[in-house]
Amino acid sequence: MALVNLNDVLSFTGNEEDSAFDDAKSSCMNFETSLNFKLPTFSIQNLSDVSDIATAPVDFLKQQMSNENNSRIAIKKGTTTLAFVFQGGVIIAVDSRATGGAYIADGGVKKVIEINPYLLGTMAGGAADCMYWERELGRRCRLYEFREKERITVSAASKLLCNIVYGYKGMGLSMGTMVTGWDKTGPGLYYVDSDGQRLKSDLFSVGSGSTYAYGVLDSLYDYNMSVEDAIELGTRAIYHAGHRDAYSGNTVNVYHMKKTGWEFIYNKDINELHYKYAAEAKPSTLS
Amino acid sequence: MPYDPHPNHEGFLNSVGSPIQHRFNPHTDNGGTTLAIAGKDFCLVAGDTRQSEGYSINTRYAPKVHELSNGSVLATSGMYADSVNLVLNIETRLEWYKHKHNKTMSATASAQMLMTVLYQKRFFPYYVFNILGGVDEKGEGCVFSYDPVGCYRRETYQAHGSSAALIQPFLDNQCGAKHQNIKEELLTLDQAMKITKDAFASATERDIYTGDYLEIFVIKKSGVTKHKFDLKKD
Amino acid sequence: MFDPFSEEGKDTRNPIRHTQQPVIVSSSVLGVVYKDGVMLASDTLASYGSGLSRFRDIERLKPVGEYTVVGASGDNSDFQYITHTLEGVTTEEYDWDDGHKLGPKNVFEYLHRLMYGRRNKMNPLWNSLVVGGLKKGEKYVFLIGSIKFVRFLGYIDLKGTTYQSEAIATGFGSYLAIPLLRKATENGRYKTLSEQDAKKLLEDCLRVLWYRDATANNKIQVATINEQGVSVSAPYKLDTEWGFAEHIRGYGA
Repeated sequence: MALVNLNDVLSFTGNEEDSAFDDAKSSCMNFETSLNFKLPTFSIQNLSDVSDIATAPVDFLKQQMSNENNSRIAIKKGTTTLAFVFQGGVIIAVDSRATGGAYIADGGVKKVIEINPYLLGTMAGGAADCMYWERELGRRCRLYEFREKERITVSAASKLLCNIVYGYKGMGLSMGTMVTGWDKTGPGLYYVDSDGQRLKSDLFSVGSGSTYAYGVLDSLYDYNMSVEDAIELGTRAIYHAGHRDAYSGNTVNVYHMKKTGWEFIYNKDINELHYKYAAEAKPSTLS
Repeated sequence: MPYDPHPNHEGFLNSVGSPIQHRFNPHTDNGGTTLAIAGKDFCLVAGDTRQSEGYSINTRYAPKVHELSNGSVLATSGMYADSVNLVLNIETRLEWYKHKHNKTMSATASAQMLMTVLYQKRFFPYYVFNILGGVDEKGEGCVFSYDPVGCYRRETYQAHGSSAALIQPFLDNQCGAKHQNIKEELLTLDQAMKITKDAFASATERDIYTGDYLEIFVIKKSGVTKHKFDLKKD
Repeated sequence: MFDPFSEEGKDTRNPIRHTQQPVIVSSSVLGVVYKDGVMLASDTLASYGSGLSRFRDIERLKPVGEYTVVGASGDNSDFQYITHTLEGVTTEEYDWDDGHKLGPKNVFEYLHRLMYGRRNKMNPLWNSLVVGGLKKGEKYVFLIGSIKFVRFLGYIDLKGTTYQSEAIATGFGSYLAIPLLRKATENGRYKTLSEQDAKKLLEDCLRVLWYRDATANNKIQVATINEQGVSVSAPYKLDTEWGFAEHIRGYGA
């Protein structure tokens, strides 16, 4: 071990950071990947690393996730999420089911991600992709606040997320998310997906059950509706999607975005909502 | 056109063209089941010890539930080689955290860390389904359940692995009080132990990848205790 | 002219092709724990794919250090690379001269890192390895149920999968030999398994493989690791019987 100790002494002459670095290096130099072992990094593998392990990353990932692969990596998918802007702010409503193939992997997923007190993101597609990148978005928004001494706008935040995922385009990320918030310009609602697409609108629904939700939303939505009615509309749209789409269901989570930030409204069981709505009087054209 | 039984098969469509390509598949499934239940002041984490490859049993004792140095317990199922290296990775980070902050990492912090560690390998994932069990800052039992790329959630009970689809509905009934018009209550340690043993004994009966031995870890604020039971070995 | 360092061919349309299937392969390696130590056995045949018997004098049981034997099945060139690497490790270990000697557990851990590292690069070493050994005074305990082992017998494959057991067989042996090996060793029976019995057991298993595995041979080697050290036998032939089994019911008679 004599040489190792000598290395320690030699490296002491450098600046403090270098010395710590060398120290870590020398104290484990008998390992081939010494620094990885001593100084774990938190960075994502870069593109060149990935193309090194697999000749074509997209093909590789496709193979990993294909149904033919007996040890395939099933990523939780299938969802209904929606959000709309109205006179009282933004309503965000989502279901809570996660499926891996035909198996309901989890019935109580939180598909609304609380980025910070003024920003919410929704989860559709790869659950881990949404969870990880929206957490990263939260970190970047906080850094923005430190630098600029004001809150980030929803527009800027959603563009940050969009730019991140665009950098991974074609590599198999899967997310369809709505970023909502309240900033100096008022309520904001943006749709961002893993293709790198970013849209602004007053009403979105994302996921396998979105078509059912749009049907309800489009027929009952009114910008001037009351907060109470808006919450009810969000709930009802998710209920109908949960009822008709096998990949959506279990419970509804509703959030309300206001000037003072977001507020969690409630969590309701779709099974209970079914009997509640069944007992209601039908519109005359349907009876 | 004669009937082609393999219409999409390159080798058949193109008899002198490109050969059938077999690609090295770096992942494998070594089977096994894990389970965790959170209680008021404890957390129970369990797993069987069989390791399989295809229809062969490699060994009857390859533990997949690991006691971590911060006092929490990590249950792994899926690919054994990946899980061994994941645990090594986690342990290294726990060690460095200790030296940097002069305290052991809390169960909730290590839960968040595990998510990051798993997502690091998003494009070449650890094929491991994790359950992390421990006691949180309030001394209450906590269970965190993960998918292979790091999506996680705190639960009160969870089963993973080859028998997950057999055991999870049983836990929904026994721990979650689902569809019974009764209030969901946290289990006592005695109840949790009983349910765990029953769950594994039943899973062993129907799942070829579960069996041999059952290891149960009970985590309390005061420390971790380990219990070992026999399962059927056929 | 062929230039091995040329940047040509490193473009994305013609990517580097790593080992995707083995070329010259060998069949089963067997290992059992017995009363006084560990015993490994294999035949000496290497073939092209599953058809052509190519080499009949390939020694696949290699002693590493003073307490360990590594046995390999799978691609022979990859095993030669592994052997070469292990020689480097033992040389380096000798150079340190710090009183420490490599035990089977060290070799096992090293090979685990090596194999898993290569599979992470999507360039696996196409082998199944069996590591057997016994280091006097080394206090490691391997548990199966409530049975404690002081001998070492472990397995590593091309994906980095590892396990330890009282009986291990690779290749076809995992189907044909494992039932016989487990019958003789499980539930603590290895404690009463003598050296002669262990040797006979392994020979019987290799005989079954010679009868039923097209890529097996009747020229075999046995390695014994006990407190006296490591010994690998010279290759020798198994006695086999190919006469018509006229007295066996179900064989036509």
